[in-house]
Amino acid sequence: MELLSDLASPIIFGILLGGLYVVIALGLSLVFGVMKVINVAHGTLVILASYLAFFALSQWAVDPILWLLPGIPLFFVLGLLIEKYLLNRAIKMSADAALIIAFGIALIIQNAVQIIWTPQSRSLITDYSFESFQIGNVYIPLVYILDFAVALIVMLAIHQFLNRTYLGQSITAASQDKEAAELMGINSTRVYQVAFGIAMALGAIAGVFFGLTFPFNPTSGNALLIIAFGVIILGGLGSMVGTFIGGMIFGLSQTLGGHFFGPTGQLLVPFLMVLVVLTIRPQGLFGR
Amino acid sequence: MSEEVLLQVNNIDVFYGNLQVLWDISLVVNSGEIVAIAGANGAGKTTLLKTISGVLHPAQGSIEFAGKGITKMQASDIVGQGISQIPEGRQLFPEMTVAQNLFIGSYNRGARAKRDQNLTRVYELFPVLEERKKQLAKTLSGGEQQMVAIGRGLMANPRLMIIDEMSLGLSPLIVSELFQVLNEIRNRGITILLVEQNVWQTLKKADRAYVIETGRIVLSGKANDLMDEEDVRNAYFGE
Repeated sequence: MELLSDLASPIIFGILLGGLYVVIALGLSLVFGVMKVINVAHGTLVILASYLAFFALSQWAVDPILWLLPGIPLFFVLGLLIEKYLLNRAIKMSADAALIIAFGIALIIQNAVQIIWTPQSRSLITDYSFESFQIGNVYIPLVYILDFAVALIVMLAIHQFLNRTYLGQSITAASQDKEAAELMGINSTRVYQVAFGIAMALGAIAGVFFGLTFPFNPTSGNALLIIAFGVIILGGLGSMVGTFIGGMIFGLSQTLGGHFFGPTGQLLVPFLMVLVVLTIRPQGLFGR
Repeated sequence: MSEEVLLQVNNIDVFYGNLQVLWDISLVVNSGEIVAIAGANGAGKTTLLKTISGVLHPAQGSIEFAGKGITKMQASDIVGQGISQIPEGRQLFPEMTVAQNLFIGSYNRGARAKRDQNLTRVYELFPVLEERKKQLAKTLSGGEQQMVAIGRGLMANPRLMIIDEMSLGLSPLIVSELFQVLNEIRNRGITILLVEQNVWQTLKKADRAYVIETGRIVLSGKANDLMDEEDVRNAYFGE
């Protein structure tokens, strides 16, 4: 009984944290599913959103969640432009070329952020940053609950979009058979741009909620990329349901790992999980 | 049946890189016809289709559809002109349901307005698809998959439907059922261009045919006449 109540806290935190990881990983998963490219700039683009929200907060006292109103369309358009002018030509050459371009984008943004905002660690601190709820004897910060709620909303919205609209179905179709999609009148070049734009818009959301939850610095994106990568490997590359389950497993194994093995277990355990899944089921739990 | 020219291919040469695959191909499909292109594996049939549907482009020659030049158009724009292609091997979206495959068939602007009407028509032609509409396409049998492929092609609201190797890998019974459906589709005013390896069966179903060999058209005419032609009988039916 005591063990159970001990475990309540890491389990609740693991699931809520997993929600944040889902939001971070969704954009990476979407781009891979459609374009078959690992966007290694994803983590850094998420952190760019954290910094832009930080800028709006510190300069004009704009609430970070409100910043998403302009931030989501801004990142969507930024994604369209990055795909159209940087990635598209590289993809036509090879997946490796696209990987290198993405890596270059990440380096440029990291350094630009460092020049503008210094390497110092920042946080998005608001009125509600220190609010928390008590469940049993566990105190849960409000932002963790927001993280999970946002994960649910975003998953549902993306699912509805991909399954119920022409644009969403065209993305799904092009990711399964590009040539057949062209025969339906789907312009795959445009689908790639829209998919990348959506992935970036998801990145903006991820950046804000990551920044509300944890401090960040210009190189935090690298850690996020590795976590997001772990999440989608667990769940299966390109599968939305897989990404959700992968995020939950990653979050839970991180908090439970920390609970049983101390701080060193926090990232060791989730990545051991990734290795185990890769060994037993290389396509991921929900991969095809 | 009107004799209006719907599709006209004029003297096209097509290359894969430096390799010429089609030489000086010309053909005509009139509105309301079932026309067949027959020929052995590797003769260039699929290349010809990909050129008509804009996946490939000819180095020489031109293609006109309903009086409009479509030679340089992209595949994704040609569907909207009224040409719907059902590719070899069906190429369904395997992880999408039957209903989703049909839905995405109506992607082009002209077809969206007529989606419900076309869907009713598809389910009339293939009642089994309505029963299986929630199943993933990859879980269907080969014959059912071909029905989805044809249905998806109809959802594009075409004037011309091009069908590549419809009978490939299907039992003769299912093939003859599908041919009956094609007749119904034609009776509803959609022109059909069939491409098949199986020359004999194709000639029996078509009004006119072109026989293609190593990238050139070697014979053409009314399908009935071709069946009587000595060359065809010798080459394809071993008589």
